Amino acid sequence: MPPKEKVESSEQVLQAVILADSFDERFQPITLETARCLLPLCNVPLISYTFEFLAVAGVQEIFVFCCSHSDKVKQFVKQYGKQSNMKIHTIVSQECYSVGDAMRELDAKQLIDTDFILVTGDVVSNMKLDKVLDEHRARRQADKSAIMTMVLKKASPQHRSRSVGDGALFVLDQASKECLHYQPVKAFKSSRQDRRMTMDMEIFDKHPEVQIRNDLIDCQIDICSVEVPALFTENFDYQDIRTDFVHGILTSDLLGKTIHFQEVTDVYAARVRSTQMYDAVSKDIISRWTFPMVPDSNLQAGDCYEFRRGLVYKEKSVVLSRTCVVEEKVVIGANTQIAERSVLSNCVIGKNCVIGANVKIDNAYIWDNVTIMDDCVVQHSIIANGVVLEKGVTVEKGCLISFNVKVGAGSTVPAYSRLTALPEDEDDSEAELESEQAIVGATGRGRTFREAEGSDDEDDEVDPRNKLVNRLAYDFSALELDQAQQELASGSEFESEASDLEEDEVNPAEDLDREVTQTLERAFKENHTVDIAALELNTLRMASNSSFHEMRKRIIPSVLKHMDVTAPVKSGKAVKDVLDKWGPLIGRMVHDKDDQIDGLYILQRASAALAPGTSSKVFAPSLRYFYDADILEEDAILIWYHSEKSQEGSEEEKKLRALAAPMIAFLEQSDSEDESEEESEEESEEESDEE
Amino acid sequence: MSMSKNSEHLVDDLVAKLKRRQLVGSSAVAQATLKLLIVVISKNNWTTSKQLLTLVKSVGQRLNLANPTELAVGNIIRRVLHIIREEFREAAGHVDSPKDGSSHQGGGHPHEGTNGLSEFAPLTTSSSMYNLLGETGSSSDDDVQYPSSLRSNIIQEIREVKDELENIYDNIKNQASLHIHSNEIIMTIGRSKTVEEFLKMAAMKRKFQVLVAESAPSYSGQEMAVELSKAGIETTVIPDSAVFAVMSRVNKVILGTHAVLANGGLVAISGTHMMAAAAKHHSIPVVVCTGLYKLSPLYPYDEDSFNVTFNPDSVLGFEEGDLIEKVTVTNPYYDYVSPELVNLFLTNQGGHPPSYLYRLIVENYDPNDRTFDL
Repeated sequence: MPPKEKVESSEQVLQAVILADSFDERFQPITLETARCLLPLCNVPLISYTFEFLAVAGVQEIFVFCCSHSDKVKQFVKQYGKQSNMKIHTIVSQECYSVGDAMRELDAKQLIDTDFILVTGDVVSNMKLDKVLDEHRARRQADKSAIMTMVLKKASPQHRSRSVGDGALFVLDQASKECLHYQPVKAFKSSRQDRRMTMDMEIFDKHPEVQIRNDLIDCQIDICSVEVPALFTENFDYQDIRTDFVHGILTSDLLGKTIHFQEVTDVYAARVRSTQMYDAVSKDIISRWTFPMVPDSNLQAGDCYEFRRGLVYKEKSVVLSRTCVVEEKVVIGANTQIAERSVLSNCVIGKNCVIGANVKIDNAYIWDNVTIMDDCVVQHSIIANGVVLEKGVTVEKGCLISFNVKVGAGSTVPAYSRLTALPEDEDDSEAELESEQAIVGATGRGRTFREAEGSDDEDDEVDPRNKLVNRLAYDFSALELDQAQQELASGSEFESEASDLEEDEVNPAEDLDREVTQTLERAFKENHTVDIAALELNTLRMASNSSFHEMRKRIIPSVLKHMDVTAPVKSGKAVKDVLDKWGPLIGRMVHDKDDQIDGLYILQRASAALAPGTSSKVFAPSLRYFYDADILEEDAILIWYHSEKSQEGSEEEKKLRALAAPMIAFLEQSDSEDESEEESEEESEEESDEE
Repeated sequence: MSMSKNSEHLVDDLVAKLKRRQLVGSSAVAQATLKLLIVVISKNNWTTSKQLLTLVKSVGQRLNLANPTELAVGNIIRRVLHIIREEFREAAGHVDSPKDGSSHQGGGHPHEGTNGLSEFAPLTTSSSMYNLLGETGSSSDDDVQYPSSLRSNIIQEIREVKDELENIYDNIKNQASLHIHSNEIIMTIGRSKTVEEFLKMAAMKRKFQVLVAESAPSYSGQEMAVELSKAGIETTVIPDSAVFAVMSRVNKVILGTHAVLANGGLVAISGTHMMAAAAKHHSIPVVVCTGLYKLSPLYPYDEDSFNVTFNPDSVLGFEEGDLIEKVTVTNPYYDYVSPELVNLFLTNQGGHPPSYLYRLIVENYDPNDRTFDL
């Protein structure tokens, strides 16, 4: 911690805060055993790149915020601090579950007394921040409400260094460099809300020129003023710095703060947010986009990489056999041995690895002390420290094999597997690991990792596919396969919007069915008022997060069933009684024309489904009633009648449609009469059209 | 032996700067290294030659690892090691017996200085057997009471090298009028401070025309052209692709370089090899202007060995998302130019053909210092 007396001179000291934790589980099971920021990226711990980036920016004091595996991070930082001329402090806080918590903690500790750089512990960038800092300071001088500057980098939407599913739309004003609106974009937009962007109209009044952009990499490099942590404290529900903080500040009229941006070009900046990004950033480093942060710059003390043609980086102590083939884009760490006829391409191999003969490694990230015996094939996977692959093992794409797993001879690890050697029950240290022999083979050691249930209660609305897209080596075909494996019914992945609204899953729908029926029965029995029933049903609707369509689909048949039409006489009266009482309830569920048309289809189908002979007795009076009560407008009825959907379906449904014919004729006639009064000139035309 | 905290800190600082490439360019790097070494030698305790050599070598090792492609760092350290060896030898001679070194008098004097002490230095290094014996017999070295002036003599010698570095352009550019004649057409590539000074000096007396290849993708040739035209030289910028086409009209190619290797090969800005090869094809003389501090005793076993491959951004923009995944771009900053393509080196000690470089190396560096292994 900085001593108190330093406060006066602190204007010169540039401070930075690194959030070493990512607060997500994308690298599990590997991150069960070590901190995310210590994962080796091209054989250098991830956070070293961040330190280096900050050192180049001229930062003198760094606060590293860590939660999980804090002891390991602390140890590393201590080691690193020795050989660096920056002051690095670690702040350990076990109670942090989000960026927001960390910022509040920071505010509570009062460590920061000037503008600071806020980055995550997984940023890789060769950017020079001096210009950004200068601009930020100049802005602050002019306007105290400019609290934050985000650094954004331009890249096309399909760029490999953009994290799939972590994108965002930025609404920017280039003249004032102000960010006006922020909207996260998901890869799969399953709800209506995800597909839309709501923006304040005022923005257009205030800013003559506005850009809406989706071509920016946001690597969360922010220059923050001291107010930022304080604002997090004030708004204790802010979790994420983008979706909550930036969005909140920009949409709030009360705070009156502004957030600016700086678009950078000609420099590299990316975040290792997911395994897919791990892959992309590794490739960028190997392809030297991050220059001078490349393996042959030897960021880590003691490394001594040599750069060769074809983007091959090799430590001096590597032993390559005469017949092995090192193709393009390969990094090989110290003391690694590669035996005869093995082929390596696009891969990173750590220190002290032993690779046998006839091994094929493509696109894989192999960390330290890994043994790969003869005839193995490894594709597009991450293999952590101490893993042993025995003779003839095949690792298919997208696998994460965590520390010290051993895969027995001849086995095949299926695509997208995640293996760990930790026992299932994490709390019980005594627990023995039960190896899954189906995957790791008879002599293997390890099990498939399953994500903890209920760990993500707050995002149960997230489309499960959004969690998969940023995995290593993902592609869309694999995604479908993966989901099919998981549990989902045969339903096709990409249906139209209409079917999206129908229930995907069976249980909630059944629940709703039951609840609605019960509520209605109670209402019928206890003779509730329409208001009360409507309130109850609306509550149900919100609780189950379903649409009005869902409610209509259930309420209309129930009301129809309630009509006692079996009595030979006065059935019409029975229908009328029920409708007089409960028709308004249906009216509450119908709002615009689309709803009305939808309601008609449901009425048609529900009536048809009633006991034979009764359907016609119910349908025609109901239709009339709804028309008379203005619940259905004539336009809607006409559209329904003429639509193809009403003409399909069972015989019974067709019959019911025919029943409506006289009413339609009446409606059309009155319609044309109305028009003829107003537009007598077009009368003849209109009529011929209708016929 | 441990270093004092202050100098340790300075070494760390320079290592970091070299690593991050905040400090680049042979001249800047050489001066920074020399400045650091003066502090290290003057601020640390040492009594024997072995201690001092170890101290300097350990610094050298670290600096060299920080950025192995800045060969000037190693050159300066070797130069200083050479000075230390010489001074100790001389001091030992004074203590033990009268110096017989005055009987040697070589044509190629290693030091610029006219200071009397350096008179003893020449040619003793060429008899390596003597050196080997001299170094291994360091047991006697420990007992010897060196004169107190030794430290100041060494510092004095290093300061002379420093002066040499600072005045390097003067010594080179003074030869300009010998090499550039009136109405000649000179071709050059990239921006080299040495060449720039050289041409400007020549322009004071003569009128000639310069063609500058723009040297993509850094386009430093364009900056060079601006500087030259400011000095009143008739300058034309040509694209790199036009070098061969206009070569036939050129009288002389004058090149700058990043480093000169032991065999006379150059590590120079990319495009230089093409220009030198085109000149060879047209039998146009190629003259390389360089300070001696760029001369390295290292041998290029592989033509990529001293190259730097830059960020491909200037060749193919990073924004081109779909392309960068499918295309591998390498953007080497330097070219290796083999010695057969060079006709003359103009150093601060005069002109030398490539075949003579071995001599300069022997005079300036000790063969034991090729690597900095302790």
